[in-house]
Parts: sequence; C-alpha cells; structure tokens
Amino acid sequence: MPGNKKDDEMICALTAEEHAALQTGLRELPDTMPPRDVWRRIREQAEAEGLIKEKGLRKHSNWYTGVGLAAAALMAAVVLRGFMQVPVDDPGTIVPDMGGSQPPVQLTTLQTLMTESRELESNLRALPDAPRVQRASTTATISDLEDRIAAIDYQLNDPEVQMSPEDTELFWRERVRLMKSLLQLRYAQAQRAAF
Amino acid sequence: MSKFADIDIDPGIIKRAAAGDARAHEIIYRAFSAPVYSICLRFTKVPAHAEDLVQETFIEIMRSIAKFRGEAALGSWIRRIAVTKALMFLRSAWTKRGQLLADDWHEVTEGDALSHGISRHPDDAMDLDAALASLSDVSRTVVWLHDVEGFTHKEIAGFMGKTESFSKSQLSRAYQRLRPLLEVSEEGTQPQGAAISY
Repeated sequence: MPGNKKDDEMICALTAEEHAALQTGLRELPDTMPPRDVWRRIREQAEAEGLIKEKGLRKHSNWYTGVGLAAAALMAAVVLRGFMQVPVDDPGTIVPDMGGSQPPVQLTTLQTLMTESRELESNLRALPDAPRVQRASTTATISDLEDRIAAIDYQLNDPEVQMSPEDTELFWRERVRLMKSLLQLRYAQAQRAAF
Repeated sequence: MSKFADIDIDPGIIKRAAAGDARAHEIIYRAFSAPVYSICLRFTKVPAHAEDLVQETFIEIMRSIAKFRGEAALGSWIRRIAVTKALMFLRSAWTKRGQLLADDWHEVTEGDALSHGISRHPDDAMDLDAALASLSDVSRTVVWLHDVEGFTHKEIAGFMGKTESFSKSQLSRAYQRLRPLLEVSEEGTQPQGAAISY
C-alpha cells in the first residue's frame, strides 16, 4: 500500500477515459416510466388536500350538463372545421364567431398552432420508419415525448373537459413544442440510420 | 448534464400550475415523472418505494410551485425536490436499521460483481445498471449525484448531512470498485491516461 494520501488518491481515481466512459454510460441509462396509477394516486391526494382545481371539469353531471356538453362538442367541431378550411397563408380572412367574447387575435394564434401541429405531424409521417437498432436513451426520450403528446391529446379531446380558448391555446402551444422536439429526434435518428 | 435540464415547460403552464390548475400539473407530471421515478428507483432500488417518492415529490411540487420564481430552470428545481425526498427516505431507512451513513458500506469485490452477471466490459446499459446496483446505497447515490446530476461534493455533503470529505471518500471507493468493470480495451489492459481528480 502506498504510504501517503496522495498515492492513495491516485490509485482510487479513474483515468480520464474511464471517468468519461462511466459518465457517458450512466447518463445514457434509459429512464423508467412510473406505473400508470401513480398519477391517479397523486391526483387523489392533491384533490383531498385541496392543492389542485379542476377548472372546467364538471364532476356532478345533470341532464342539462349533458346537453351543454353536447352543444359545446358540436360547436367545437364546427369551429375546428372552420379553422381547418382557412388557408394557412391568410390567417385573418375567416374567423369563426364565438359569440363575440373572444378577441380575433386569439383565434388566429390557435389556428396557426393547429396548422403548425398538422404540418409537423405530416413531416413526421414522411420520415422513414425508426431503425431496428436504436440507442436506448433516444428510444426512451421518444417514448416519453409521445406519452406527453398523448396526454395533451387526451385533454384536448376529453368531452368532459371544457377549456377556455386560453387553455386550448396553451395546450396546443405545448403540443407544437413537443412535436418539434419529437421531429428533431426522429430526424436525427433517421440521419444516423442512413450512415 | 442531467436529463432534468433537457426538459422545458412553457411558462404559461407553470403559471397555471401555480394557480392550482390540475391539467397544468398533469403536463408537468408527464414531463418529469420518468426522470423523477428513475432517480428514486436508482437510489432506493425498490419500485414501491420509488413510486411513493414520486408521489411525495409531485405533491411537494404542487404545494410549493407558487413559490417557484423561475430563477433556475424548473427541471433543476424539481430535481432538487426529488433528490431531497429520496435522500430523506434513505436516511430514514438507515436510521430505522440503526446504521450510520458511514457504516452503510457493502464490500463488493469484482468477484461479487461478476457473479451478479456483470461483465468486465459493461458496454451496454444492463451491465452498467447492474454495476451501479451492486454498490452500497450511499456510494451509488454519491456516484449518481456527482457524475449524472452534476452536484458538487459540497452540495452532496449538504444533502447527506455529512462533510465534503465523506462525499469524496465515498466516490473514491465507488470508483475503485467500478474500475475493473470499466476496462475498455479488449485485451483487458488498463487504458492509458491521466488520473482525474474527484
């Protein structure tokens, strides 16, 4: 055994190559998703403690609630259809009437986000299939992004959720952001596979 | 950098979460649940404990997000909560076992590691995961905090209620045990290079 502390440290330390290998390996270890029921448990506790509010979600349904939801869903469908028919390069031409309560600029932003999201979906579909051999970390990140997008889609499509235009825009903005990240990753993956 | 740093959340969603909006909290959960669960699982090794810690972490986030000022990234803030919760759990577990932190050192020899299915060339995630799991709770935690999450010895010492020397010593011992598993050359020779400081 070396007789001084300095020698001990030199023996214990990793070489730069070993340390780099260790750090890279550790950082590339894939993340693990928690079981699905964990969020339900968190939500139940948060509701019990009054930490979260279910804005827009009606827990106690009545017959008129059902009628209201159906009307809202129908209106949303008409509005969305209206959005889809507006040319991308002319966002200000047709703005569906939402009862005069919403400023047109919000609708235009939402419309732009929806169009952008649709284009990103299209670009994603145009990429070749994911390679058979993939980096574990990339696969985990892609899976995570897909889960997050799915969670947002679930919120946007949940008939029990009544979102304000502000909410809707926020969720669409987040969806676009995640889609961009997903597209970048899938593009990089496709490029690596090409070499 | 830590994976927490790669995740960004729209400030509008953080603002809504601060107001108690359930949907905004769900978006934050979906974004950070995997890294939070992973860190808890690596520290505790027991899925049920890791799930409880994820729950505690996100409940703490809900309680405190109104105080989050955005000076640091949201991911760094969440990571710190998760690490604190996980270490509190470990310290509690150690206390229950009547052990001191410094005593929690399971000697793992290379033979032990190999008998647990760890190859001498951990060129895939399974090997490194197994090598990490073969370390004691304390040294595994120190390695992870230092080499993955990028915490300094001073910060790690603060988390653990110990000295910087303790953190350095644990890291050194962990490296010593991991070193045989990190040989990169096919012939089994030590790679050449300057020793690093830690």
